[in-house]
Amino acid sequence: MTTTLQHAPTKSKGGGLARRQNFLTALIGGVVFAWLAWFIGRHTLDNTTRTFSDQVAVLTSCGWTVGFWLGIGALNGPGRWFIGRDHTRADDLYYAGENQGRARYWKYCTDHKVVGVQYIIMTMVLLGAGGILAMAIRTQLLTPGNHFVDQQVYNGFIAVHGMLMILALIVAVAGPWANFVVPIMIGAHDMAFPRLNALSFWTLVAAAGLLLTTLAVGSLPVGWVVLAPISNQAGVGMDFFAMAIIVFTVSTTVAGINTIATVMTLRTKGMTLSRLPIFVWGSIIAAALGLYAFPYFLTVEAIQILDRTVSTSFFVASGGGAGWLQANLFWLMGHPEVYVILIPAVAALFEIAAVMSRKPVFSYRTAIAGMTGLAGLSVLVWAHHMFTTGWAPTLGGPFMLTTELISIPTGLFFLVLLGTLWRGNIWMKLPTLWLFGFVFNFIIAGITGIYLSDIPIDNQLHGTMFVTAHFHYVFVGSVLFGAIAALAFWFPKVSGRYLDETQGKISFWLVFIGVQVTFLAMFVSGLRGMPRRYSSYSMIFEHTNFVTTMGAYMIMAGMLVLLGAVISSWRKGEPSGPNPWQANSLEWLVPTPPPLENFDVLPTIKEDPYNFGGKR
Amino acid sequence: MATNTLNAQHQEHHDGGHHEPPAKVYGRQKMALWLFIGGDIITMSAMLFTYLYLRGVNTQNHWMSMVGLPVDKVHTYGYYENLANLPSQHLIHVAPMSPSFNWLVTGVSVLSALIFWSAERNLRKNGNRAAFTWNALFATVAVVVAAVLSVVQLRHLPQIYVAVNDSHTLSYTAYSSSMMVLTGSALVHFILLAYLGLAMVVRSARGVLTGEKWFHAGLVRLFWVWVAVSGIIVSAVTTTVNVH
Repeated sequence: MTTTLQHAPTKSKGGGLARRQNFLTALIGGVVFAWLAWFIGRHTLDNTTRTFSDQVAVLTSCGWTVGFWLGIGALNGPGRWFIGRDHTRADDLYYAGENQGRARYWKYCTDHKVVGVQYIIMTMVLLGAGGILAMAIRTQLLTPGNHFVDQQVYNGFIAVHGMLMILALIVAVAGPWANFVVPIMIGAHDMAFPRLNALSFWTLVAAAGLLLTTLAVGSLPVGWVVLAPISNQAGVGMDFFAMAIIVFTVSTTVAGINTIATVMTLRTKGMTLSRLPIFVWGSIIAAALGLYAFPYFLTVEAIQILDRTVSTSFFVASGGGAGWLQANLFWLMGHPEVYVILIPAVAALFEIAAVMSRKPVFSYRTAIAGMTGLAGLSVLVWAHHMFTTGWAPTLGGPFMLTTELISIPTGLFFLVLLGTLWRGNIWMKLPTLWLFGFVFNFIIAGITGIYLSDIPIDNQLHGTMFVTAHFHYVFVGSVLFGAIAALAFWFPKVSGRYLDETQGKISFWLVFIGVQVTFLAMFVSGLRGMPRRYSSYSMIFEHTNFVTTMGAYMIMAGMLVLLGAVISSWRKGEPSGPNPWQANSLEWLVPTPPPLENFDVLPTIKEDPYNFGGKR
Repeated sequence: MATNTLNAQHQEHHDGGHHEPPAKVYGRQKMALWLFIGGDIITMSAMLFTYLYLRGVNTQNHWMSMVGLPVDKVHTYGYYENLANLPSQHLIHVAPMSPSFNWLVTGVSVLSALIFWSAERNLRKNGNRAAFTWNALFATVAVVVAAVLSVVQLRHLPQIYVAVNDSHTLSYTAYSSSMMVLTGSALVHFILLAYLGLAMVVRSARGVLTGEKWFHAGLVRLFWVWVAVSGIIVSAVTTTVNVH
């Protein structure tokens, strides 16, 4: 198969202004515009009002975002479209990174594979930043009354750690792999809207910049859920946080639309919906759920900003507002968001299980039903986060029921995974190891979730470390394991090399044991009544906290080994060839690395990708 | 490969999407726009939820009341700032805004949508580019008028002068707050429409948009109509779910 594209000669070099734009100009643009906005705000707004500093902070955030977009080149396309000078073929090829080598990874590149790699790097940066904060938190909690960090700083660490990790995990699987492999999996040249693809990534970078700024401007002592009314009283860090969420929502909305439109309109001939690789299904279900959920996030943070900058009363009781409104809007987003994170990871594991056991995905339609059912139910459970708040007690029963029903589609996940692995010719490589780790951890995550969905138990455990341990089993023990399995699985397609097995296994065991040590001990702390988010605690929690901190250090060590494995394998790992797992889906049938626009000619699909015949 | 045959006999040649039929590209863009409108519907629902929630939890007119001092043409922010001794604060009721102003903004928005729709239809069916350019310009001017009216509406939302901690400030009741977010959202949409409308005018004048290449006008028309419809929904809700 020849896949080298022969483009028609073009008259101009293409690219225009974009030739001078990259991450550095984006940073410069962001900083300059942020400073300009700050300067204008300082000198034009009424500095006698109590909301003055918040208004300046929001203006500065807007300046940063617009400047960043201008600097990276995100507004070139809309600008040119406005004046009727649309991109030429040469421009499109330049934006796609043709013949630009590694420089294209620092640019507003529209090639979906470059965007996929950019997401891999971004996920690592976010996980690294969030991980450092996690280590600081755990070091503070090593002993009772520790003074490793100031209490206000600690509170800020809690909030920013939470949000950074949420952002990291939202993009950990969907970001790299819905971009890198999904277009190839369905037999397309690229995403449906390549420029929107680049926009979604660089907007995420702008949002991450705003989020990290909260630490530099007085922090955010209100937890990642930023519940009102305490969030109304927080310093200007809250403004940067809210703006980060709004900008992030733009990123996810654009990405979600692009993913769904790509799969629905760019499938190659014969790629019917029933022949789609299961990971593609997971990607579009998660994207659709994100499209539903994140507008609530945008709304709640937008009106939070209005409360803080122009003295509205959405969440101010004395003005007729209600903190419960904030809680409702937040959790209308907050619970579906868990499944926006989880579903792509599970779908990737379905894919891995099938390839590594040489069997079709067990009950393919059940897998789709499980993911769809989970997405559908997730929009009906938000109030279980508010059982103890006193909001609508009569609705407690129905919300308890809908939450417990979640265990049915979740159970289907286990059925499909175990059914696929059952009596399979299992290839015990690195991706498979992380898959088994996921299965183990997800059982604990799921069962403890059922406890928390019951109102009598939740009344006892709400706000304790038990809850923290539960959702860390979901996010770290399950989603992160799924994300690393996906990384190990598709790494050869990205780099042309295997992810080093030895280092990968060391990493796995460190992280796997670390997770059990950390969070099982945290369950004990919670059951004994230790509250979340406190910077100090009673002596009776000393031993379990010490164990938890040691476990956290193990996880960090394991993640550092994994980082080393990624870097060293990318540079000089064992060459893998184009199809190291002998899989049948299209991404493995193109050369490695895949050429620009993936296929010289589009393939015709005649069967689903899971007919292995049981052989390797 | 055993299953997914990369068989040249049945291959359709593509060149990075550039040889695709325009109708296919239009279909893809239309789907994306519908998805965007779907997200916009959720956002609007969240804002209406906010309006209805605050109305629901504030019975007996309290969503229009705050403890503070009245603000009107005479008793402005500056007036209170210049007073040495503030009078004692008490429960103030703000007067609701007239629903007719909401309907006026919506009416202008609907009118602009109808003008653009007719222009786009004319371009698509008759290829009349000059008429499209002018009508798109009229529609854009109308939407700019709607934007200006929204700004007027925002500036006239009833406020109260209240004490917060150790300082005083102008503040909005729950009612005014809810109206602000709905009006502000409409304003953002009008600004976006003004950008799109002007782009249509420029593209048409430059000959990029023609009777054969009308697809972008079709997309803009779809969004324009949605903005008008959303205005009708918001006005209907804020009128029927009583303001008193």
